[in-house]
Formats: sequence, structure tokens, C-alpha cells
Amino acid sequence: MSTYSPFLEVDRLSAAWDGLPVLRAVSFSIDPGEFVVLLGPNGSGKTTLLRCLAGLEKPTSGTIRLGGEDVTSLPTHRRGIGLMFQDPALFPHRTVYENIAYAPLLQRRTRSEVETEVDGLVSLLHLEGFEDRRPDQLSGGERQRVALARTLAARPRLVLLDEPFASIDVELKAELHAEFRQALRTRGTAAIHVTHDREEGLFLGDRVGLLFDGSLEVVGSPADVFEHPRSARAARFLGYNVLDGPSGPVAVRAEDLEIGGSIGGGPSAVVAAVGTLGRETLVILRTELGERLELRTVDPPDGFRPGAPVTVRWQRSVPLPREEASGASPGR
Amino acid sequence: MRRISGDAWSTGPVVAFVLAFALVPVAILFATAVREAGGWNAIGSILSSPLNAASINNSLVQGALSAVLAVALGYPAGIFFGRYSWPGRTVLRSLLIVPFLLPSLVVVLGILDLFGPGGLLLSSTPGLSFFGTGLPAIVAANLVFNIPIVILFTATGCESASVELEETVATLGGTPARAYREVWAGPTWVGAAVGGLLTFLFSALSFAPPLVLCGPRCYTVEARIWSLDQVFLDPTSAGVLALGLVLLFLLPTIAYLWLLSRLRTIPGRRPPARPRVSARDPVAVGLAAETAAVALGVGAVLASVIYRALQPTGGGGAGGAYGALFSSATTARLGISAFGMIGNSLFFATVAAMIAVLLGIPAGYAIARRPSRAGGLGLLLFLPLLLSPVVLAFSLANFWRPLLGGESTIWFLVIVSQSILAIPFALQSIEIPLAGLSPSVREAAETLGATPWGAFLDADLPRVREGLTTAGLFAFAIGLGEFTATYFLVTPQYTTLPVALYRLADARQFAVADADAGLLLLLSLAVFLALVLGGRRVDL
Repeated sequence: MSTYSPFLEVDRLSAAWDGLPVLRAVSFSIDPGEFVVLLGPNGSGKTTLLRCLAGLEKPTSGTIRLGGEDVTSLPTHRRGIGLMFQDPALFPHRTVYENIAYAPLLQRRTRSEVETEVDGLVSLLHLEGFEDRRPDQLSGGERQRVALARTLAARPRLVLLDEPFASIDVELKAELHAEFRQALRTRGTAAIHVTHDREEGLFLGDRVGLLFDGSLEVVGSPADVFEHPRSARAARFLGYNVLDGPSGPVAVRAEDLEIGGSIGGGPSAVVAAVGTLGRETLVILRTELGERLELRTVDPPDGFRPGAPVTVRWQRSVPLPREEASGASPGR
Repeated sequence: MRRISGDAWSTGPVVAFVLAFALVPVAILFATAVREAGGWNAIGSILSSPLNAASINNSLVQGALSAVLAVALGYPAGIFFGRYSWPGRTVLRSLLIVPFLLPSLVVVLGILDLFGPGGLLLSSTPGLSFFGTGLPAIVAANLVFNIPIVILFTATGCESASVELEETVATLGGTPARAYREVWAGPTWVGAAVGGLLTFLFSALSFAPPLVLCGPRCYTVEARIWSLDQVFLDPTSAGVLALGLVLLFLLPTIAYLWLLSRLRTIPGRRPPARPRVSARDPVAVGLAAETAAVALGVGAVLASVIYRALQPTGGGGAGGAYGALFSSATTARLGISAFGMIGNSLFFATVAAMIAVLLGIPAGYAIARRPSRAGGLGLLLFLPLLLSPVVLAFSLANFWRPLLGGESTIWFLVIVSQSILAIPFALQSIEIPLAGLSPSVREAAETLGATPWGAFLDADLPRVREGLTTAGLFAFAIGLGEFTATYFLVTPQYTTLPVALYRLADARQFAVADADAGLLLLLSLAVFLALVLGGRRVDL
């Protein structure tokens, strides 16, 4: 009988800063070649988790197994795990070619192997013509491409991406998303990508995990994670409104929230702001309890003005566990 | 009519001040010396005369030896300060500036107290008397001043190295040694080179150590110029030698300024997270041990001064040296009471600091607005240091004393000389925070109707108040400890604590000199406390 053994297995990993817990018994696993995205707000422990995996921080407890080997105590340079930062951290005194060739040369590969490796990555990441430039002669997107090429040139067993697109403008970001996914898929390299951008995370991941306050709440397919929020804080992070329904707390999408009547048993609210998003109109409401609600509609009723009293209703909702919702603060 | 630009108003005052009180008098001094020497041919023979050539040789040997040893001993400790986090690091880093602020004579006295005749360490280890006189003693004194400087600059280089880049090297498979070579070695060695060059300049131009610890056979160029003018009454040869000194040290000074501009960290950059020292990290433990040994050595020299000052002396009990310092006998010997010396020291240093800060504000603002001018202005303001305090005082006395009307205006020249020596360091303390200021608040003030000057006063100046305080305290400490130029200029009624210290040491009144040195140490420590307790950091 064969036993399934994941490529990366993180078991009850915990970390603390000056005694304050930053990661709380995080466990998950990923398969070879898989692209997993960990989503979470700022300060949720995403970067610390990556740094522990890379060996740049020491966990207080727990184990990390990579390809069946326990790497928890291995120094960073022996783990075979590549890490890309938000800042591409290119060597400023080296050309693009030299940056990419850095790790193959460290690994004492032959000259022709290094050339083949670098040429392949230059082509894969569309860096032809930039080989002799220095980092200060590149745009932000080009620098990130070079950083990924440099990371992949080391032939890491796993690549960790720490919000590498955070400082890239929106149009270029979509293009880079596709290029990065394609490059990693072509090389068959598993990756963990952390971000606070839920759309980026849901778009990119084979699987998505939600990290809050150092705890990994769920890992699943993007559709499953988005369609079935497990808690009020997860629902709010994923863009849902959290309301008290007839049988307990529920999560309601902004486009499923409607104005008028009391069909859904929803609370009274006041229009706080109204604005257009192009095809849609965004309405911000504030309930009597001070909770912020978002409503998106393509057909806004007349008389929608800040200060106008309304009631809200909804046709579709996702039930949430009661205890989570009662303790959670209103979404803002 | 052509209007004077705002930048000219900013840099004009400080440039005019340095020109009027340093560069023009020095240029006239050099021209006069060359003319009176009988032209350029005669200069060669003056410079190559045995004693003058020996002084040049002494300067180079003492400078080079001190620089090499200071870098060898200071570099590991600088890495320890810049690379690791450990309890007391911040306070000790600030404490590093204290030896630099002290008059050289305090350190000289400390060397004598430890290794000189009857030195504290000689009863247990007689072999240490090797460090009590001659070249070893001079180099030891230079090291006490300059190792902390090398540590400071190396630590600054370390702090400017990118932690992200180091971590990237590790994730790409590079060993810690590789990460050091790739990321840390460059900036830390630039820092060490800056410290080494400054050590070379300070040591090659040192005055008190060769004078007190060795005598004429060890005289540096600086001491030889003083001797030619004040002892042999030969201002022409002194002027020619001063010109030779400037030419000789121009290149290392330019190299120092160039490296310093490379070293400066990006303003406003977040200090990198430092790993904590772990007992399991042999490199960190080794660096900690080396740092402790260096701190012990430097600390022992300074502590010996306090210890000796508090020892029973002659007819007095413990602290009797202080009684002697304030006695009428000392007043008669020096021509001024101890209270008078303290008053002079505080007055000169306070006014000099005010001048340095007032001139530094507009100059720092001009550099912050256009950093490309930092190099030229820096060189101009640093030139008086290159000219050395003796040459500065020599030229001030020659040019300004007759114009101002003799001895009654000496106090003015002392203040001017202390200001000029403090300006480069004060400017740096002002310039760095100004350069880190976001222009948005000033621009907002201008869009609300403020003039550029008004916007500067309302928006920028309040935000660099800490930098101004640091600059003021720093300049005050430099003035307080200044010995060479002041000694050259003053008559007894204007004697300061450092000048009295030299006169007392020269008269072999070591216990009273220790009491004087102890006072200076306390005043310097008070400045240091004011800097540290205010959460300020001083960089050279």
C-alpha cells in the first residue's frame, strides 16, 4: 500500500516576536508544482510564515518537511527554497545577465550550463535585450521579472513570493501575474504566494489559504474559499457584508444586497455615500449599530442621497457560525 | 540689476565666514612666507632641512601606523555594532563619540597615568612601560581617539548594507561568508576606510601627543610649525612648512570626503532588523570579545584620569588634586583662577557653537535642496581642518590681530577659530535631517502664501529641531575640547581648561592636570548625556 506524502508539509508551525505570538500552529501541505496563495490582511503573519519556511526566522515550534526531508533546522542556503521580496533586491552592481547567473555560478555549474540556464530564463521571462543593463536602468516590472529569473536560476525546490506585485501598477500587474504563473508552470516549480489583495489571490492560486492573526483558517480551491466563508472575519475580508439574518449571522455579497422592504429581515440603515464605478453604482450604508454595508447595483433607485434612511434585504446569503459573528467587530 | 539668488543667500554667509577667517588669511600667510623665503627655490631647501623633513616623516609614520592599527582593531567591533542587536548597544554606540569630543591632552594624560613613570599598570606588568613614551605612546594615544571613530564609520557602513540582499544571497544558496563578501564587505570597508583616513589625518596632524609624550624627535609637521613660530621665532619657515603640509595632505582629505559621500546612508531609511547575539554563533561571540577588549582598553585610559584625580595627593586627602586646582598657587602659576578657566571655556564654546549652527542652517538647507553641491561646499568647509588648527591660528593671528587692534581682541579670534573647526561637523548634523525632509509640507506652506524663507521657517525648521540641538551640542563639545588653535592664540587671561591642562602637564603637575582633565571629562560626559537622553544620535 502506498502512502501519500505531500511535497511540502508544514506541521503546527508557531513563531513569536518578543514573546508575542505571530504564527499559531499553522499546518498545511502542498503538492509538487502547485501554486498556493495565502491571503490575509496586513499583520496577519504572512511574511513571517514565508521567512520561517525560508529559514530566515526560527519558529518557536513545529516542523517543515520538504520532499520528505525535515528542513526545520537547515540554514537558509541549504534549503533550496527561493524567496522573492516585494523589493526585488537585485545586486545593483551586476547586470541583468550577471544577476540571473549568480546562483548557477555559486553552484559551480559549467559555463555552458550557466549560459543555457540564463538564456532560457531570459527568453521565458521576456528579458531579451536587457541582459547588459543594470537594475537602475530597468522599470519596476522588468526588475521583478529579473528577480524571478534569478530565483528560478537557482533551481529551487520551492519558490516563495512575498507580495512581489505590491508596487506594480494595475495594468502591468495582470500581465506579470500571467507571466509568473506560466514561468513557474513551465519549470514545474511549486510556489507559495502571499498577498493581501484578495482578487490577486483568488485569480492566481491553484489553492488559496486565509491567514488571520497568525492562524490559518482554511485552505481550499479559490471558488470554495470564496463561496463558503467560514467566519465573519473571513467573509468581511472576502468582500461580503455580514448581517444578522432570521436564523443567525449571514454573509451577503454586495451585489446581492437590495434596498427596500424587510423581506430579508435586514436592519434599517442610512445612506453614507453614493458613487459610480462605471457600469455599477456603489452605495455605502451605515446600520443603526454602526456597521458598514456595501451595495452594488446597475440600477440605482431614485432618491439615493447621503443621509436618506433605507432598509436592506437580500435574496442570497451564506450562513455563518453564530459565535464568530457575535464577537466580530463591524466590517469597515 | 541682477538679483542675488536664494541659494547664494543660503551658502553665502558660511562661505564668506570661512573665506574671511580661514582661507584668505591662510593664502596671505602662504604668499608672504613664499615671498620672504626668497621664492620657490628656497622652499625646497626649507622643506628638506633635516628637522622639517623629519617632521614630515614623523607625520606620515605616526599617521599610517595609527590608521592601520585603528582599522585592524576597530573593524571587528564596528561589525559587531552595526550587524548585531545586543543590550546596551544604543547607549554604547553614542558613547563612542566621547573620546572624539575630548581634548587630546586628556587621553595623553591617561596614557601617562597608565604606562608613564609610576603608571598604574607598571607595578603588575613592568613591560607595559613600552607604551609610556616615544612612538608607541603616541600611537596608543592616537588609537584611543580613533578606534571609536573607525568603529562608528564601520557600523554606519554596516547599517547601510541591504538586509534584503543578504537574505536573497542566502535563499539563492550563498553561504554566510558569501553574503558577507557580496553585501556587507563593500559598505563596511568603505566605512573602515573613511575611519582609517580620518585617523591618518588626525594622527599625522596631531599636536599634543608628540609634544607631551615624546618631544622634538617625534614632532609632527603640526608640532614643528608651532615650534618654528613660537620657539624659534621663524614665521617664514613655519609658513612654508604649513604650505607643504596642505599640499601633502590634500589628496587624503579629498579621498576622505569622496568616501564619506559614498558612505552616507539614504536619509530616512529604516534601520535594518539586526540579528540578536547568540552564544551559539561563534562569529558573534568572537566579535563581542574583541569589542569588549577594545572598550576595556579605551575605557581604562579614560578611567585612569578620573582615578588619579581622586587619589590623595601631597597634603590633601582624596580629591586633594581638585583643591590644588582651585588653589591660589595654581592661579598664580597659570595667571587665572580655575573658575576663570571654566568660564572662558564655556563662553568660547557656547558662542562658537551658536555661530556654527547659525551658519550651518542656511548652508545645510542649500545642500539639501541641491545635493550635488555637497562635495564642493564640504571640501571648502573641511579645508580649515586640513590646514590644521595650528596653521589656522597662525594665519588668524598674523592677519586679523593687527587689524583688530592687538591682544584685547584675542577672545574674538579664539571663538572664530573654534567656530571654523566645528562648522563641518555641525553642518553634517543639520544637513542629514534636512535632506531627509519631505518637501510636501514646505510646498503646502508656499501654496498657502508663505515666501520660500517663511516656508522654511514655518515648515522645515521645526521639523529639524533635534538636528539643530545635536549640531549645537556637538559644536559646543568640539569648542570645549579644542586645544591646539586656542593654545596658539591665547594670553593667560583667556586660558581655557585644555590650555591649562597642557601648562600643568608641562610643569609636571600631573595630579592637578588630572583634576583639570577630570573636569573636562565630566563636561564632555554631560554633553554626551544631553545628546543620548534626548534620544539623539551623533554621526561624524
